[in-house]
Amino acid sequence: MFDYLKEYFDAKALLICLGLVILGLFSVYSATFDVGAAAAFKKQVVWAAIGLVALFIMAFFPLKTLQRISFPLYILNLGLLLVVLVVGERVSGSKSWFGLGGSGGLASFGGQPSEFAKVATVLALSSFLARTSITLSNAKHLMLAIGIVIVPMVLILAQPDLGTAVVFFAMVLPVLYWAGASNFVLAAIVAPIVAAAGALFGTLVFLVSLLVSGTLLYLTRQNRFAVAVAFGLTLAVGLSVQAVYERMPAYQQKRISTFINPGSEQKGAGYNVYQSKVAIGSGGFFGKGYLQGTQTQLNFIPEQWTDFIFCVPGEEFGFVGASLVIGLFTGLLLHGVNVAGLSKNKFASAASIGITGIFGFHVLVNIGMSMGLLPVIGIPLPFLSYGGSALVANMSMVGLLMNFYANRKEH
Amino acid sequence: MIHDEHFGSPERRRTLIIVVFVMFAVLMLRLYQLQLLYHVELDKKSEENSVRALVKDPVRGYLYDRYGKLFVDVGPSYSVTLVPAEFEKRNIALLSSILQMEPQMLEERVARARAYSPFLPARIKRDVDMRTLAAIEENFTTFRGVSFQVESKRVYPTKAHASHLLGYRREIADAQLSETDEYYRPGDLVGVAGLEARYEPLLRGTKGFEYVSVNSKGQIIGSFEDGKRNVSAKEGSDLLLSIDVGLQALAESLMTTYSGAIVAMDPNGGGLLALVSKPDYDPSIMSGVTPADLWSELQSNPAKPLYNRATLTRYPPGSTFKMVLAAAALQEGIIDENYRINCTGGFRFGNRVFKDLHVHGSVNVVEAIQKSCNVFFYQLMLKVGFDTWTEYGRRFGFGQTSNTDTGEETTGLLPSTEYYDSRYGKGKWTQGFLISLAIGQGEVGVSPLQMVRYAAALANGGTVYRPHAVELVRNKETKKIEPIPRDSSLVGLSPHVMELIREGMLRVVQSPGGTGALARIPGILSAGKTGTAENPHGKDHAWYVGFAPFDNPKIAVAVMLENSGFGGAKAAPLAGMIMEKYLYGELIRNKPKPAPAQKTVARTMTPATH
Repeated sequence: MFDYLKEYFDAKALLICLGLVILGLFSVYSATFDVGAAAAFKKQVVWAAIGLVALFIMAFFPLKTLQRISFPLYILNLGLLLVVLVVGERVSGSKSWFGLGGSGGLASFGGQPSEFAKVATVLALSSFLARTSITLSNAKHLMLAIGIVIVPMVLILAQPDLGTAVVFFAMVLPVLYWAGASNFVLAAIVAPIVAAAGALFGTLVFLVSLLVSGTLLYLTRQNRFAVAVAFGLTLAVGLSVQAVYERMPAYQQKRISTFINPGSEQKGAGYNVYQSKVAIGSGGFFGKGYLQGTQTQLNFIPEQWTDFIFCVPGEEFGFVGASLVIGLFTGLLLHGVNVAGLSKNKFASAASIGITGIFGFHVLVNIGMSMGLLPVIGIPLPFLSYGGSALVANMSMVGLLMNFYANRKEH
Repeated sequence: MIHDEHFGSPERRRTLIIVVFVMFAVLMLRLYQLQLLYHVELDKKSEENSVRALVKDPVRGYLYDRYGKLFVDVGPSYSVTLVPAEFEKRNIALLSSILQMEPQMLEERVARARAYSPFLPARIKRDVDMRTLAAIEENFTTFRGVSFQVESKRVYPTKAHASHLLGYRREIADAQLSETDEYYRPGDLVGVAGLEARYEPLLRGTKGFEYVSVNSKGQIIGSFEDGKRNVSAKEGSDLLLSIDVGLQALAESLMTTYSGAIVAMDPNGGGLLALVSKPDYDPSIMSGVTPADLWSELQSNPAKPLYNRATLTRYPPGSTFKMVLAAAALQEGIIDENYRINCTGGFRFGNRVFKDLHVHGSVNVVEAIQKSCNVFFYQLMLKVGFDTWTEYGRRFGFGQTSNTDTGEETTGLLPSTEYYDSRYGKGKWTQGFLISLAIGQGEVGVSPLQMVRYAAALANGGTVYRPHAVELVRNKETKKIEPIPRDSSLVGLSPHVMELIREGMLRVVQSPGGTGALARIPGILSAGKTGTAENPHGKDHAWYVGFAPFDNPKIAVAVMLENSGFGGAKAAPLAGMIMEKYLYGELIRNKPKPAPAQKTVARTMTPATH
């Protein structure tokens, strides 16, 4: 019985996930302690319960069926993304929300289709790559693969939600790498990103980023024509990003400009990062104790329960608590790569990497921005941040990992 | 069925694992840096964020007079406060009319308070009256966020104003704020004149602090660490003065129709008994907040009520200065009591004639003081010489500040060879300049404070004390009473010289027809000297200096009345009443039984002088 469990039940993923969810519930309770804690905490508990159900459904869902329905699921999600663009509620500047009561924030109960779009897109992409006829050295196939990711990404960008859109890029790169994409293909994907990022920092940085992208492409030793095409694409992306940046809502421009010069405005956009760093740093080795963090309890970090939730373990549980969080995430990521490696099914293997990539990007960017290492692009910390859709989607993804682990020997 | 040889290859798996580890390492290193390396600094920042110190104002020290009577008290003052976040803008007009201030000014103050913290009550107007408070109470429901707080202000329970002596406090000026230590905050009251200024560090006490936790909006959440770090305010020290409040009040009442000063001093130690400058003002108008119009009225009033005539005026002393020259001549052995000159009612020097009021005939030094014979002193000045005269003037404390504790004072002007050399040029001034100085006219300038010190020195046999109003300081924290060190210097006069000069001063008052006869005190011998300062700009200033009782002086007094004419007529009677009040505790002259003192007078006076 125990051996059977060990063979077919991914206890490791489940335990890590539950550990993080519990830490998350504690953190949300603390972060919302005086601003409607009871309501927010209860809702998050309900979401965690729903997430657990979703996790088990995903864990025991027949793998073949899952692979088969991944495209219909993907199409359904695209539809939802379109609908939310038309009828969705605006929450802090973005139309990304289906309201079911209240209007966003702590008091409402709603869903964000973009969270589920991530899962559906990973599954669709993996399913596509798993087809025997598909090879990434074929430019048409590659374009199709990228297209699968670009479509939901554009819809999410249109909400506009920069953070979530960027996640799609972060997911597609490891998956393609895993699926065997050549260095040139990867460079051709990375180069426009580098150029796009460079475009936000003014002309000089933009030129340098173009130079770096060009060099990167050149070093892959692909034929000159292909390099030229890729570079042309890079240039086009960079220029259009520059154009889009100027039309961006001010708050997102500010988030980006704050990253360029974080110390500039302590009460402005850099305020969150400053207060977040103070919160984490003041935690010290053992922390100030649960519900004792002055930064957290006295609301020095705006919207802490979402994007800056990492401050809670950082301040109240100190280095011990924060290391535990980072350690659990690292364990989950390693496990994800491991499952991908063990999996004999291409779909499962690629999807494992996709899921791991999504988690990894969220963790790196969220914790990185909380500690002032990376720009504040507003993406939540999986399992810890307040938010139902994300919690359910993330737990579903753990369920998928468990599924892939259990079926790792299946072709 | 993996076709692609690269799909999920071990190298790619290894690469991804490395990527995960690098990510882990980066996050952990940053975590280590923030939580362990920068912990102390960030912890301090976090504390600064969430802890505010609320200032608890200390109770200012009280002032008591020489008999322990409460002179300056502390009472409640009500300040209207406002929490900017709660206050509704539409109430600006109503509130400003109740507070009697310009709506723009109120708006400005609310804006400034909001900038500091929208959630902390800020003082909008200090020291409002009960009617204003009542009006605010009436509109309590309308004025959300408006409240009042009780603070302390000066209360003056006695009849005496003593405005120039006590001084006042004002809100600290920005310039002063930047140059003083960290103690003061904008809006703090600080002593700017008189004793309030001089003893500010002792009187103010030490502020206390109550530490409270605030949230990111500045709202107070509760006490910080259960108040363990709170510091209670330390009360200011009390000042025990040498001033006699009753005497001060009488002196002020005697001066109501005059412009000038009265200073009375204990000749045995230099403690001031009264210090009056008129016109003055009621100090209670400065105890809380002085309305701007009242303040500018005080400043622009042509009678200059803010000007301390007791310590800042610089008038010629007139004949009251003659004792300086007499002391110099006697002590230096230039003359003795037998030296006589014949007064013909005038003195020719060069081609100028210096007149005297009377023809005094043959006079010695005692008689010259008694009769205030100008001719005697004209001639004496030429015998003594300018430098010796200046030297004795300096020994009596003229031409220099007295280092008093009562506030600003003038050095006065004691002419000297160096002074004339620099003023007119070497050799460009003549001995003729000195003739006026001999009788206290011309360029010599003295303050009433310097004159009382001089009178006290003549009373006590030649000791010049630092005039001071504060004798003792009572520290309420340590419960210790500490004396203020008193300085003194000696003029250096022999008892015999002192005796002659004092004899002259006694006769001024007590001999029949003496110029200072109006300074007599029933039953007590008093001595003194009248003076009239020539005033080129108007009526002469009247002077009187004196002391009593003659044998054992307990009080010295200087009276200066601007534009009042002869010292003997105007200043002397005031001095007499001051001394009488101090020595008897009340004015007895109008009472039925004035004790005849002629017997004692006869014993002391030398028969030859009649």
